[in-house]
Amino acid sequence: MEPEQFQQTFKRLEVEVQKVIVGYQEVIRKVLIAFFSGGHVLLEGVPGLGKTLLVKSLSRALGMTFKRIQFTPDLMPSDIVGTEVLTEVNGRREFQFKKGPIFAHVVLADEINRATPKTQSAVLEAMEEKQVTVFGESHVLESPFIVLATQNPIELEGTYPLPEAQLDRFFFKLIVTPPAPDELREILKRTTGVETSDATKVLPEDGGRLVNEMKQLLRQVLVAPPIEDYVVRLVHATHGNGQNGGNAGVKQYIRFGSSPRGAQAVILGAKGNALADGRVHVSYEDVEKIVYPALRHRIILNFQAEAENVSGDQVITEVMKQVKRN
Amino acid sequence: MSSANHGPEEGRPENLVAHLAARLRSHVLWDSLLIFIPPVLAGVFIVFSFYRAAWMSPLAFLLAALVLAGVAGLAVILRYRPLVPSVPAAARLIDGQADSKDRFLTLATLAHAAQPSNFVARLRHETSRFGERIQLARDFPYRFKKSFYRSMMVSLVAALLFHLMIPVAESVIRPPSVQQQLRQVAEKMAQKESLKPLAQALQALAAKLDDPKAKPEEKQAAVEEVEKKIEEQQKKEPEKENRDLLSQAANSLKGTEQQQSSSGDEQKKDQDKGGGGIQSNLPQEGKGEGKQSEGGGSDSKGEQSAQMSNDMKQGKSAQGNPKEKGDEKNQQAQGDAKNDQRDPNQPGKEKNNEKVGKDQGASKEGAGKNQSPEEPPQGAPPAERFYKAGEGKEGGLKGAGYVTVQLPEDLVADSKAEGKATKEGGKGNRARPQVPVSNAPLPAHVPNAPTEKQQMPIEYRGIIR
Repeated sequence: MEPEQFQQTFKRLEVEVQKVIVGYQEVIRKVLIAFFSGGHVLLEGVPGLGKTLLVKSLSRALGMTFKRIQFTPDLMPSDIVGTEVLTEVNGRREFQFKKGPIFAHVVLADEINRATPKTQSAVLEAMEEKQVTVFGESHVLESPFIVLATQNPIELEGTYPLPEAQLDRFFFKLIVTPPAPDELREILKRTTGVETSDATKVLPEDGGRLVNEMKQLLRQVLVAPPIEDYVVRLVHATHGNGQNGGNAGVKQYIRFGSSPRGAQAVILGAKGNALADGRVHVSYEDVEKIVYPALRHRIILNFQAEAENVSGDQVITEVMKQVKRN
Repeated sequence: MSSANHGPEEGRPENLVAHLAARLRSHVLWDSLLIFIPPVLAGVFIVFSFYRAAWMSPLAFLLAALVLAGVAGLAVILRYRPLVPSVPAAARLIDGQADSKDRFLTLATLAHAAQPSNFVARLRHETSRFGERIQLARDFPYRFKKSFYRSMMVSLVAALLFHLMIPVAESVIRPPSVQQQLRQVAEKMAQKESLKPLAQALQALAAKLDDPKAKPEEKQAAVEEVEKKIEEQQKKEPEKENRDLLSQAANSLKGTEQQQSSSGDEQKKDQDKGGGGIQSNLPQEGKGEGKQSEGGGSDSKGEQSAQMSNDMKQGKSAQGNPKEKGDEKNQQAQGDAKNDQRDPNQPGKEKNNEKVGKDQGASKEGAGKNQSPEEPPQGAPPAERFYKAGEGKEGGLKGAGYVTVQLPEDLVADSKAEGKATKEGGKGNRARPQVPVSNAPLPAHVPNAPTEKQQMPIEYRGIIR
C-alpha cells in the first residue's frame, strides 16, 4: 500500500462520517487515527452530543460489525464477553460458548463509568489482549477491533470512575464539546427535515485486510530523532519529579505522570496524523496536535489541581511551554 | 562570510543543510570576531597611546598587544564553541524558511539504513522540491548583530576617552619642561606690543637652554640677564595683565634656575666624588657671606663656631697658605662690591643652599673631609679661633682659608635677612638683636661637653654671681 492510498481512504472515511456528524472534525479525525493505530478511544461529553451516532457512522463507513453495550451497574462481565451456555446438540447436552457483544469490530461501550469495576476490567482486558478467556478457553476477538467508550462528566452519582490503570489502556481521550451555533443549525437541518443522510460503506469487502495494511503503513512513517527526543522530554516532563517537570508550575498539580504508553500513543498518533496529511514523516506540529488526546487521561492530577479546577489540558499546556523543540 | 549560493540543484537536500550549517558556523564566527575585535583594537590603540607617550617600552607595547590579541582569541573561541549551529538547527532553519514541515530535519537526522527506502526516497523527493525555494545567500544573509554595534560603540568611546585623557594625564604626570613653559609665556607675551622684545629674549633663552653645546655658565648668565630685564619691565609695566605675564615668566625662570642648579649639583657630585669639606646650607649670595668674612658681626662668631670645620679647629687651615691670602681678600672684596659671592667652579649653586662649601673645602683646604655639620667642633677653645679685638676689621681672619659653614635653618633665614639689610642699608642694620659676647678666653675645652653652652653676657657678670 502507498501513502497516497492511505490518505485517500482516510479522507473518504472522514467525509462519510461527516455526512452524518456535523462538526467534530478533529474528533472524527482522531478516532480514525486511533483506529488505524490499533488503539481505543474514550469519548467524554455530556449526553446528546452525538457520540453514539459518531461511532455508528464510523462503523457503517468502515463496513464492519458494530455492537453497542450500555453499561449499567448491574451489567456483568459475562454480559460483555459471553458465557458458556448448556445446549443440546444431536441429543447430547454440552456447553457451548455464546459470544458477547465484545465480539465485533467496532464496540461502543456507552457510559462505561456506570458499570462496576469488575465489568469494566473485563472489557479493558479484552481491549488490551484482543481476546477473552471464558472458563479457561481463550477466544480471539475480531480484527480490526476498536472500543469506543463514552462517559458522562456529570451525573457522577452511582458511577465508578475508571481506575488509572484502565484509563491508560485508552489510546486517546477525546472531549466532545457542545456544537457551535452554526453547527447546531446544520444539525437541526439534517435531523429534523424529511431527508436524512447516512454514511455509506467506504472500505471494500475485505476491509479488515485493508485496515491491517493501513496499520502497517502507519508504523513505517519516519520520525526524526530530534522529534522523538521531543516526545520523550514532553512525557518525562509530565512527571512531577521529572528532570524537566520538576518545576513548581507543574509539580504542584501532578500526582502521577504519563506512562510509556503515553509516549507510544503520541508517536503513533503523530504518525497517523502525518500520513492522513499525505506525509511520510512526522513533524513537530503532528506531535503537538496529538499530545493532548494522548496524554490528558494519563496525567493523574492531585487534590490541589481538583480544588483549583486545573485540568489535564492546562498541565499539558504548561509542560509544552517548558519543553522546547530541539 | 562567503556568499556562495548553494542551490538544491547542486546536490541532495542533505547537502543544502550541510552548506547552511557551514554558513551559520561562519556567521557565528564573524559575530564573535566582530564583538571582540573592536575592544581589541581599542585596547591596542590605548596601549599604543601609552607607548607613544613614552610610558611604555616597545617591548612592553608588543607584549601588551600580543596579550590583548590572545585574550580576544580566547574569548572568540569561548563564545564561538557553544554557539556553533548543529545540523538539526540548520535543518530547522531551512524548514522554517521553506515551510517544509520538518522535512529537512527528518532527512538530515534520520538513520536512513534503518528506514523503509521507499519512504526515504519519497521524503527526499519532496524535500528537494522545497529546497528549490531556498537560496542560502538570499535567505540566510549575514547581518551585523546588535552586539557588534554595542561593542563598536563602547570601544570607540573608550578609545576616544583615552585619546582625550592621555595628554591631560601626561601633563599631570610629566609637567612641561621649563623651556616649553618659557616658549608658552613668550608666545603670550609676543601678542603684547610692549612685551615683544622680552618675548624674543625668552624665545632666545629657551633656544639657548635647549642647546646642548651651550655651557652651563652661559645658560646661567642668559637666565640672569633675562631675569633682570623682566624685573625692570615689571617695575615699568602699568597693566596688570602684562604684569601677570611677566611674573609668570619670572616663575618659569626660577624653574630654569632650579633646573640649572640641580644639573650643576649632579655635575659637581660627579666631579668631586670623595672630596670632603665643610658643607653649608647657607645662602651664598650677597652680603651675608661677605659680612661673615669681614668678621664685622661679633655675635655671629659664637654661633658659627659651633659648626667650624676640623681644619679650623686644629688651626691648620685657619692659618692657611700665606700665598692664598691675597686671593681671599680679593674674593671678599668682590663679594662686597657685587653683593654676590660665588664659587667660580659652581656657577649654578648660588641659590642652592646645599653643599656649597664642599668644593671649596676640598680645593683650598684639602682636609676636613666628611665633616658632618652636626658634629660639635673639637680642638682648641672657640675663643682661640678668632682674632684679637680689632683685627678682624682690617684684614679679616688672619691666615684663614675661605670657609663656609652650615647653620641651622633659623640662622639661614636670619642670615638672609641680614644680607638683605646690608644690601639695602649698610652694615649697621642688623635684623638680629645684638648680644655682646666676650672674647675673653673661655675655660678650657672639655671634650664631650655640651657645645652650645651659652656664655653669660659680660654686663651681667658683676651682678649675677
